[in-house]
Amino acid sequence: MEKKIEIKNVSKFYGRKQALFDIDLTIEQGMFGLLGRNGAGKTTLMKTLAALHKKKSGEITVCGVPIEKAREIRAMTGYLPQDFSMYPSMKTDEALDYLGALSGIPKADRKKKVTSLLRKVNLIEHRHKKVKELSGGMKRRLGIAQALIHDPTVLIVDEPTAGLDPEERIRFRNLLCEVAEERIVILSTHIVGDIEATCENIAIMDEGRILWKGTVEQLIDNARGHIFTSNVEKRFIPQIKKEYIVTGMLSQNDYTTVRIVSDSEPDLPNTVLTEPDIEGAYMYCLHSSGCDVKGGEE
Amino acid sequence: MLFSKECRRILTSLTFIIYCFVVGLFFVSQYFEECNGVPYVPDEKISEDHDVIMHGAVDDLATEFFANNYVCYPYGFYKSVRLKEDDSKKVEECLLEVTGLTHDELMDIRDSGEKYYIERGVQETMYYEIGEMPVSDTITYERFCELMGKVDDILGGGSNYKVDDIVFRYSYVPMTDEEIEGVISDLYDKDGVAGGYARLFSDYMGIVLGIMPVFVTAALVSADRRKRVSDLIYTRKISSFKLVFSRYTALVVMMFIPVIFCMIAASIQLIKNFDFSDLALYRMFTLPTFWLLPQIMIVTAVAMIVTEVFSSGIAILLQFAWWFHSNMSNGERLSGSIGKFDLICRHNTIYGRDEFLLSRNDFIFNRVFFFIAAIVITALTAYIFELKRGGRFNGFRLFGKDSIFRHKA
Ligand SMILES: Nc1ncnc2c1ncn2[C@@H]1O[C@H](COP(=O)(O)OP(=O)(O)OP(=O)(O)O)[C@@H](O)[C@H]1O
Ligand SMILES: [Mg+2]
Repeated sequence: MEKKIEIKNVSKFYGRKQALFDIDLTIEQGMFGLLGRNGAGKTTLMKTLAALHKKKSGEITVCGVPIEKAREIRAMTGYLPQDFSMYPSMKTDEALDYLGALSGIPKADRKKKVTSLLRKVNLIEHRHKKVKELSGGMKRRLGIAQALIHDPTVLIVDEPTAGLDPEERIRFRNLLCEVAEERIVILSTHIVGDIEATCENIAIMDEGRILWKGTVEQLIDNARGHIFTSNVEKRFIPQIKKEYIVTGMLSQNDYTTVRIVSDSEPDLPNTVLTEPDIEGAYMYCLHSSGCDVKGGEE
Repeated sequence: MLFSKECRRILTSLTFIIYCFVVGLFFVSQYFEECNGVPYVPDEKISEDHDVIMHGAVDDLATEFFANNYVCYPYGFYKSVRLKEDDSKKVEECLLEVTGLTHDELMDIRDSGEKYYIERGVQETMYYEIGEMPVSDTITYERFCELMGKVDDILGGGSNYKVDDIVFRYSYVPMTDEEIEGVISDLYDKDGVAGGYARLFSDYMGIVLGIMPVFVTAALVSADRRKRVSDLIYTRKISSFKLVFSRYTALVVMMFIPVIFCMIAASIQLIKNFDFSDLALYRMFTLPTFWLLPQIMIVTAVAMIVTEVFSSGIAILLQFAWWFHSNMSNGERLSGSIGKFDLICRHNTIYGRDEFLLSRNDFIFNRVFFFIAAIVITALTAYIFELKRGGRFNGFRLFGKDSIFRHKA
């Protein structure tokens, strides 16, 4: 059986509001990144893949299994919701054990699994803490542990790195990469840097549509020739922001170096073409697809 | 096992602790205190003597008619009813037929009665002190019941003349010494003492178990949504059927445990108060289990499905309504007939075994019906759970952000 998720022509409505428009996507083994602004439809797509939502039309198969076979899909999918939370008065290991039981793991294996997972996500010394006593980052780590407890073929993690400190974020990314060696991992994020460090394949979504799909390299290649830096006086900054897409600024005395995404070379002093970074490439992609991203500096 | 995990979750929940406390308190204050010491000796019984019933009812009806003030308890709420002229006339017609008097004779009785006043609510009502009213020689009991039914209708229901209750209200007569002897020996010989106490125990506990399980259930079932754990649970492999039934059984078992403790306490009390050889102690366990377990089951099952479809608040409201209705429709009738579909069955005495056995078949039907209904409803809940988890049904929200009454833009 091939490890592959195939999404064909999928549409999804919330009541009368359409949230996904004819999504076509093939996701293969390894890390897959889903990028997009707030409200782009990332969570909606991921929930649909986790059999939590009913699609309106189209076809989804996960490793050959149609999404309608919810039971089988659930057995091979691990899901970390964007707003992960757990019964607050349960202890950390108890919570994992409970969710493990719901995943049908026999008692004998569960104990071992819980301990090894807690060790893996660096929560072992907090295992007797109640869930409500965990910090936001610890809670996220518990979240990833619960998604992995039944050894799923597909791991769906919705913005797992939000709210983690840099050190934890790196640990988290490494963990995901490790996990992705034998699975399909789908990750959504706003943090473009996460994608760069982990994912080979990505898709960029906006307003329920896939704007772009391909590898990170292709995305960067795409933007080549459209990212510039200029050295300008500080007082011009507001005006520049109004006219161009600014992705970065570095101030030095009265001058500021700005990174600009633009179709053609901007008419500014001291402008040079630069090698695109992933953030700029992402902005360029949004921009070239007709999204209004001016004034943004994520 | 999932079952034991759910039990643990229930055990550590605040609502369950409150449940135990209320059930225990109710047991102690209602049953345990009453049964302390030697049993009271009955001195009155329901005669079912038609003459006694008719006399009692006619006396009350005449008194209320003269005062034009009728005490009613529709759905258990006190209400004093005053009739308009034409309705009053209809009541008078009934009264004339039952007594066999003419209008003038009736008025004579009224006018010869001494007046007295009773304060009812804000206003004073004038009553006439009348003696015993006559009852017509020619009227049959069936016709009498018909007329009383008519009066009850005119009064809007819940009056003293409600036909179902009339036997229990008006036919008490003193018992002879032999009868008293007989009733007591029934308790010892036929009921093994514990059987009689078991009925009283079940009677009281049935009241509190008609409402309390809804809180524990609604809290547990709505916890997933409240704590935003639903998606996490929904994406697990476990079948909806297994999950829902594990939770259901855990709820029922956990809520039955305090009841078992109460049974044990009641048994110990019996051992203290009676000769052990007189006691058929097992009856303190068998009858209440048969009586109360289906009740916990049905309340839990209904609470579960309503919480899944609507919300915990609606479940509690609905159960309150059902509980209230069941309590009130029992009315004065604290013992005797048990309806086929009464949630709360009453038999508020340690005596009256024969009377209880009269509605034995209905009682058994009742409990078996609720037992089966509870399981069917839970299976339905599992189906609804499966729909919700696949996003095919999101429940109806009557209030708040996602209310079905909100106009969707
Ligand atoms: N339950 C819902 N009912 C109605 N509309 C919804 C619901 N959930 C999401 N939406 C809408 O669907 C669209 C996509 O939302 P979604 O949560 O998938 O975005 P997202 O990409 O995950 O955003 P974010 O980055 O903020 O998490 C949004 O316009 C949102 O308003
Ligand atoms: Mg989202």
